[in-house]
Amino acid sequence: MKKELLARLIIILFISLAIAIPVIGRLKLSVNHNNVVELHARMPENGGWSLSTIEVKAGKPLKLHITSDDVMHGFSIGKSDQPALEITPGEFVDTTLIFDTPGRYTFYCDRWCGPNHWRMRGTIVVTGDNQTSQPEPQPLFLKLGIDIDSPSDAETIPSKPVSAENGAKFQHLLPEYALQRDTYNATSPAKLWMRLRKESTLANLPDSDLWDIIAWIWQQNTTNDQVINGQEIFAKNCAACHGETGEGDGVMVRGLPVWDPGNHNSGNVMHEATGEGLVRPPDFTDPIHLLGVSPALLEGKIIRGGMGTGMPYWGPIFTNQQIDSLISYLYTFAWNTRAKNSN
Amino acid sequence: MMRQSPNILKQNKLKQWTRITILLLLCLVILFVPFPIPDAPPTDRHIRIEASMFQFTPSEIKINKGDHVTVDLVSTDVVHGFSLDGYNFELKADPGQTSSGSFIANRTGVFRFRCSVACGNLHPFMIGKLQIGPNLLLFRGIILGFLAIIVALLSIKTKK
Repeated sequence: MKKELLARLIIILFISLAIAIPVIGRLKLSVNHNNVVELHARMPENGGWSLSTIEVKAGKPLKLHITSDDVMHGFSIGKSDQPALEITPGEFVDTTLIFDTPGRYTFYCDRWCGPNHWRMRGTIVVTGDNQTSQPEPQPLFLKLGIDIDSPSDAETIPSKPVSAENGAKFQHLLPEYALQRDTYNATSPAKLWMRLRKESTLANLPDSDLWDIIAWIWQQNTTNDQVINGQEIFAKNCAACHGETGEGDGVMVRGLPVWDPGNHNSGNVMHEATGEGLVRPPDFTDPIHLLGVSPALLEGKIIRGGMGTGMPYWGPIFTNQQIDSLISYLYTFAWNTRAKNSN
Repeated sequence: MMRQSPNILKQNKLKQWTRITILLLLCLVILFVPFPIPDAPPTDRHIRIEASMFQFTPSEIKINKGDHVTVDLVSTDVVHGFSLDGYNFELKADPGQTSSGSFIANRTGVFRFRCSVACGNLHPFMIGKLQIGPNLLLFRGIILGFLAIIVALLSIKTKK
């Protein structure tokens, strides 16, 4: 009798094991699936990110299991200082993100992965009850009502190389508004030059000294760190189109036509519906372009992009500090060229 | 039919063996004797290589031994790499960010360079050739080929 009981017990044990193993396995698998989001990176031509929207609750960890299906990509969160992840084909990268404030965040690829690289963006929607996040302040170009699409070439440019050191000598002559941050933000170098030209205290200065003053004012409104930071951002994000030297000859825009104002003058000329508009970026080292734009205008162009060209919108990606640094760096193209030409 | 005496047979065999040894010696001479090609004086070389999917431009580069080579790698579409066989030399370039590196070409021969970053489906075929010094192996091979032709012609003649 005892033996029979043992045999029955053994059979019951085996049957329950046979049922339990797949059930537990499936349970475990579903738990994993609930927690980890698998994200595949592909070139935009091959479909871009496998998920365009990821939803997560505020304060809850978002576990990501990321890989690339073709070339090397990056994973970065816009407007954050989180270091970018390198996504190598054939390898999985795991990361855990926690969002404290509800809102919409942009994740994007930060390695150039083809001509449409910048389109590789997705959204992380963070939901939560505490809607404490205040709306972001309006960017300056909207407050000032600047039309960033209209032509903005400089009315006048320096005829010889500028020297900010020389400009510093005349700082005691300057009117108060010239040194204010608001003036710098809202005025282009050429406009400020024309305004100062009308000042009676500066009337005896030659034009070139006045340009030195403008260069000095622009130098006062930035720091060396900002320029270096801007240079890094430019090299990583902008140089593929705008060129490493800022001349608008980047590797991605080869073969595109040079911008011509006639292209977009839709008064009486018929245009092709699509395909038009992809042109080379302007040559930043030609001061006629950069001395005609104010920092607020540049900020607008960076945030919104477009302008009838292939310029992407960087608003959801760069922080305000990063855009400021980038603008500081951009102006160095305009000032440096004149110095370069003299050599 | 005439019968050859064993003496003549022995002589013939000896002749054959001397021929084979001479041939082998010639082969060794062709393969290992240094050519009297003077080394060009080493120079500084600046090479700009553009990497695109799935090729290097230029893909064939000839330099001299001892040259100080600086490579500028420019990528025109996705992230590409440059790794040179036989040398410990690696570069990686993002579009818009030229990466440079330099090395001294102190080993002669023909070396392959490859893309070292997976850049798409034809990535394994993205290779180029760097020739350092004259391609001696090729010349030696050609001369060896000629030797083979001459030997073949001679053997036909002697059989007749």
